[in-house]
Amino acid sequence: MESEIIRAAALLGAGICMGFGAIGPGIGEGFTAGKACEGIARSPENAGLLTRTMLVGQAVSESTGIYSLVISLLLIFAV
Amino acid sequence: MFDTFSLVHVAAYIGAGLAVGISSIGAGIGEGYIAGNTNIAMMKQPKSIDILLRTMLIAQAITETGAIFSLVIAMLLLFGGMINPDGSWQLVASLFGAGLAIGAGTLGAAFGNGYTGGEACKGIGRQPRESKLLTANMLIGQALAQTSSIFALVIAMLLLYSTPTGDSIVKTLAYIGAAFSIGFGTFGPGFGIGIVAGKTVDGISRFPKQSSILVRTMFVGAAVSESTSIYALVIAFLLLFVA
Repeated sequence: MESEIIRAAALLGAGICMGFGAIGPGIGEGFTAGKACEGIARSPENAGLLTRTMLVGQAVSESTGIYSLVISLLLIFAV
Repeated sequence: MFDTFSLVHVAAYIGAGLAVGISSIGAGIGEGYIAGNTNIAMMKQPKSIDILLRTMLIAQAITETGAIFSLVIAMLLLFGGMINPDGSWQLVASLFGAGLAIGAGTLGAAFGNGYTGGEACKGIGRQPRESKLLTANMLIGQALAQTSSIFALVIAMLLLYSTPTGDSIVKTLAYIGAAFSIGFGTFGPGFGIGIVAGKTVDGISRFPKQSSILVRTMFVGAAVSESTSIYALVIAFLLLFVA
């Protein structure tokens, strides 16, 4: 019974972890891409540079989403 | 204290309340933002009132979809015959989870759609001649943002129609975990893609000649922003079917 409760709590934790962990990267990456579009509209000749910077910034912003994914997968399969 | 039959009732009623209650926040704010920007645009361009009114209504209808999904799930929870007399803890979790998943899951997309629609109406106020281009781009952006609330609808339907029997605490908390994962996990991408689409429409209204490069960048940015809602969907599927 005790191990059942531990397993159940791990699964609930996995769901909460991925759910709240995905809020930040989603909004942040969207904000980055939105600002990149704004910049490209103002100076289209720098589109390549802006897109590259956008993707680098989004990759950094994505990292916390991937942390949440890893922790969720660990909670589901390793605990 | 309670038997499981009354707990199933409690779960269905709380789930229905959460579904409509949370999702209405997004729809209300989003549609208000669209209408506010439309009014300002009408003030600036009194000749384009018809086009603005039409665009406003289209944008508001799309923003409303998430709340309508939630209303359908809430109606199913209340009157859909989901309240099984042989209630179990897993059924309690799945009914509560369905309401939480659809309620929280449509919130972000409603904010995002509202922002995109508001920017489109603002843009038409700036460039009435480009209204078709702006409306088309608004619709593409809103469709991208809406995907996350469709993920939430899928998980809510799966939870609703799984009609589990059994009292395994592991399964019970796994269902609630799946609802948390998809419900809150789709908030960020829905809102984020809305920001991308809104800024793209804003850019097109200022520089209509750059529309192709802006739409291309919008797709790249929206795809990256979508990734976390796909992670949330994968975790929800794992919790529902593997755990």
